[in-house]
Amino acid sequence: MPTATEIEAVGIVKRYGALVANDEVSLAIERGEIHAVMGENGAGKSTLMSILYGLTQPDEGRILLRGREVRFRSALDAIGQGMGMVHQAFKLFNSLTVWENIVYGAEPRRGLLIDRREARRRVAELAGRHHLAVEPDAVVAKLSVGVRQRVEILKALYRDARILILDEPTAVLTPQERDGLFAVMRHLAAEGRTILFVTHKLNEAMAITDRLTVLRGGKVVARLRTSQTTPREIVRAMTGRSVNLSLDKAPVRPGAALLEARGLTLASPGGKPLVEDAALCVRAGEIVGIAGVAGNGQSELVEVLVGLRRPDRGAVLVGGADVTHADVAARRRAGIAFIPEDRASVGSALTVSAADNLAMGFQRQPPLARRGMLNAGAVAARARRLIAKFDIRIASERAPVGSLSGGNLQKVVVARELSHEAPVLVAEQPTRGVDVGATEFIHGQLLGERAKGRAVLLVSAELSEILALSDRVLVMYEGRIVADLPRDEADEDSLGLLMAGRALEAA
Amino acid sequence: MSGLITPFLMQSAVQAITPILLAALAGVICGRAGVFNLALEGLMLVGAFAAIVGSDFSHSAGVGIAAAVLASVVFSMILAYGATIFRGDAVVIGIGMNLLASGLTAYLLRVMFGVSGTFSDPAIVGLDKIPIPALQRVPILGWGFGRQTILTWAAWALVVLVSVVLFKTPLGLRLRGVGEQPYAAETLGVNVRNYRVGAVLVSGALAGLAGAQLSLGAVTVFAEDMSAGRGWIAVVAVMLGRDNPLYAAAACVLFGFADAMSIRLQSEGLPNQLTDISPYVVTLIALVISHRKSGRASSAAAALATTADEPQLDTR
Amino acid sequence: MSALPSRLQPPSVVVAIVFAALVGGALVLAAGVNPLNAYHQILVGSLSWGSLPDTLNWATPLVGMTLAAALPLRGGMINLGGDGQMVIGGLAGALTAIYLPGPGPLVATVALIAAALAAGLYAALAAWGENRHGVPMLISTLLLSYPAVGITSYLVRFPLRDVTTGLPQTALVPPSARLMVISDPLNIGLVLIAAIAMLVLYVDRRTVAGFELRVRGANARFARYGGVRLDRQATRVMFASGAIAGLVGAIIVLGSQFRFIDGALLTPAYTWSGLMAALLVNGEPAGAIFAGLFFAALQTGGFAMQRETSAPRVLTIVLQSIVILFLAVRNGVGRRAS
Repeated sequence: MPTATEIEAVGIVKRYGALVANDEVSLAIERGEIHAVMGENGAGKSTLMSILYGLTQPDEGRILLRGREVRFRSALDAIGQGMGMVHQAFKLFNSLTVWENIVYGAEPRRGLLIDRREARRRVAELAGRHHLAVEPDAVVAKLSVGVRQRVEILKALYRDARILILDEPTAVLTPQERDGLFAVMRHLAAEGRTILFVTHKLNEAMAITDRLTVLRGGKVVARLRTSQTTPREIVRAMTGRSVNLSLDKAPVRPGAALLEARGLTLASPGGKPLVEDAALCVRAGEIVGIAGVAGNGQSELVEVLVGLRRPDRGAVLVGGADVTHADVAARRRAGIAFIPEDRASVGSALTVSAADNLAMGFQRQPPLARRGMLNAGAVAARARRLIAKFDIRIASERAPVGSLSGGNLQKVVVARELSHEAPVLVAEQPTRGVDVGATEFIHGQLLGERAKGRAVLLVSAELSEILALSDRVLVMYEGRIVADLPRDEADEDSLGLLMAGRALEAA
Repeated sequence: MSGLITPFLMQSAVQAITPILLAALAGVICGRAGVFNLALEGLMLVGAFAAIVGSDFSHSAGVGIAAAVLASVVFSMILAYGATIFRGDAVVIGIGMNLLASGLTAYLLRVMFGVSGTFSDPAIVGLDKIPIPALQRVPILGWGFGRQTILTWAAWALVVLVSVVLFKTPLGLRLRGVGEQPYAAETLGVNVRNYRVGAVLVSGALAGLAGAQLSLGAVTVFAEDMSAGRGWIAVVAVMLGRDNPLYAAAACVLFGFADAMSIRLQSEGLPNQLTDISPYVVTLIALVISHRKSGRASSAAAALATTADEPQLDTR
Repeated sequence: MSALPSRLQPPSVVVAIVFAALVGGALVLAAGVNPLNAYHQILVGSLSWGSLPDTLNWATPLVGMTLAAALPLRGGMINLGGDGQMVIGGLAGALTAIYLPGPGPLVATVALIAAALAAGLYAALAAWGENRHGVPMLISTLLLSYPAVGITSYLVRFPLRDVTTGLPQTALVPPSARLMVISDPLNIGLVLIAAIAMLVLYVDRRTVAGFELRVRGANARFARYGGVRLDRQATRVMFASGAIAGLVGAIIVLGSQFRFIDGALLTPAYTWSGLMAALLVNGEPAGAIFAGLFFAALQTGGFAMQRETSAPRVLTIVLQSIVILFLAVRNGVGRRAS
């Protein structure tokens, strides 16, 4: 039973210019507790965790470790005092081995050289003790996401972390891997370690934690005991209003097949199969969702569909026409719009103005251009129209988009792609890293496209999003489409099994 | 073909390889640290000039070498601090440094010695070639190493040393991490900035040695722009070697041979304007072939590809 | 899209120039010359009424090479092979002008076109190298430059050597095929380069091709995602870049030297000064033109400085590199400035 206060933050304040990221944040965590820190994007969770891990210094406030005031001057300092953190984006050295990653910075030595045998031995022993199976000599680049996460946890345990911060750890896991992670968390808590679980996923927070702290707008707005609260209460705390947790979908009769894929096969240059014999069909007025843990071929499949990659075999048809050998420009003309997974690196150019960003994809056609000549006035006018229509918060259409928040930048991408009025829309992780308000908006837009008779292909790692929006659900596993179900036959458990590679029958 | 591999050819080849090899090691160290060093050409030139000046005034080759190392290390600080603390673009800084080195050495040549073009002086003491009679009788390799300067021996010793340090010591492990994921390294307590600055300064020293070999190793002379593209060949050797000292050394061997072969062809009567270009042609062909078999791209190739994204490195 | 990166507003450039002037001053002192006198000579020697023709004459090839470097840089690509492209253009122009029969102006025009084509194709070779073989253009343009210089050097020393003088150069270009003189030493080449400058500016600001190039320079993946064919764009841009460089070579041959002389095109180091000017502004055309003019004035003034004070004129190259290094280090000028 958790008793004493292990770590306490008192009155933490952190400002970035005019923005107050943390506003008098206080929370107290008890030893052996699994504590959720919840909130939307931009609520201040990441800032708080950065402070607790020594990556940033608070402007005001104190941190108490077992009742004693401490100052974390750096991450190394925090680690030295028992903090550990597993970031959402892993901080691993992909070309190095597991043991090299784990002992990095604290290598056992023999004279001037690294004592490899000792390092491997320690890693093996640690892995065994905490039931985190890893191969010390494996190169991290070749490991699956679930195993990489184990390496991250072992890194923290190697330095004997008493307080472990996990930042959105389940975003990249299958439901079964997530259960495995929860088992490890419970084991560590039983050992007397303390776990801070940063998440925005209600179900998981409800499933594993003892208590919850909810942040909104930089302030603590709720301190709840998990057993005594409800999802609705948590969401209301996170967003400040009642949010409709389920979307209203009007029934729509699907029409002709607008996007088809047949027998798509793609292997990496090294021979590793990326997409195997994938076939799908999206009809007008339909949203087809592809569920699957990231890394099972969805990105590659999407790249083949939109023309950023050529398949080794197979065909892609848009509106019945074969576009398999057409380049991106031709496919856009044929009627595909594409919201890419990475809005900053692929979906936009951050140093370029909003007007120019919004013009991409149209820059060769009237009214923006005639015979190779660009009409700057038309570009600006179009941009202003889209900014107003999609409620994008930006100073002017001439401002570079690099200054926009994640949600606003995504709106720019969505606005541009939807303004194509293309019959086919491919949307990849459209609400990742986007606040609840913009997420609602984007979901509304996707349903709107569906109502207008467009074919929408939705690829998402968020099962809730897939289940809320899709008419049909596909599951990808190891490059294959392993299931094609109507929505009413799909639920989280069965999808989770499929995502992990197990057929439905052998549950 | 039988007369092609002569003792003289082997000796010229090994001699030609030395500066490129030292510069390539410099490039490997920087590449592993994640700093793209395009200034090898300019660093070598600065070292070559300083070596001549040092030897001229002190009548000692040793002082010349020391001067070369010192000058190149100081010169490398532009990149060391410019690309890390000031977060400048390493490519622009590298090209700028090459141009500065060319102009500055030409200027000082005129101001200090009153000549332009080339400079030589009997007072300059060059590097002794160390004859090892026993070795000279060994075919091929022995011919190559039987009479070389101390810097040549140092270069090959450094290949081994750099490999050991890089792959077997904590310093090397941490350096590799710094180049691959600086943010991760930083959170684990490795001071990324110090490692990067250190890597560039060390590479400056090695490039200085390369310069000393250039101006004091064969004939003692300084000529304007005498690095003649060797720095760029070293950059390519690092790319081909995927930032690995042993593979980069192998690439250097290839180029050294092309260089020596061109000298041989010259003596067969081919005009030197044509034979001089063989190292560059060989380099281009090697790059094409290497791409066919590519696995891990070197950090250099990734940095230069015009479609790559480079994550912003935060070393604050 | 803003014309200049915000870091490169006039104040930073001024600071850089002042810093370079200080360092340069120290170097000049080391030569035993009064820095104030030296700089005075630079100013007078470049901008005074009598010197302006010389400055403009020097500016013609320098601004030309600046544009040749700026074009790919605008799209995030670097062409380091200007030297090789220039000599190929120069030789092609010389040979066409010498051996092609016909009326003078026509021959001159064909010679210029031949120069642009030959050099453009050679530069496009590097783009092909990256598209098909993954060899980065930055490396291949540079590596290709040496063989180009070597082969042209060989050609004018042996098969194409001018037998009358015996020097490593071609025969004289017939007077009818030379570029028309405006007022000694200025010739039509100046007008040509000015026209090219306007063309580059126009394409950059007003055409789709310029838009797509700018976007590629900002984020190549985004350009590709938006339908731009990166490989074709690279080939076209490198061809244009090489063509401009080749044209510069031909203009020098047909307008000033009247024959292709081994090494003569390269000694003034137009390529590298042009590259530095282009790097200063990340390839932005209007800024590039000004930077090129500035460096031309600096170098012309350097000649005067050397004449009057005996401070070596290579100092101007040193000053240029200090300016660009200062801006690269302090203001983050470079391809990835953001």
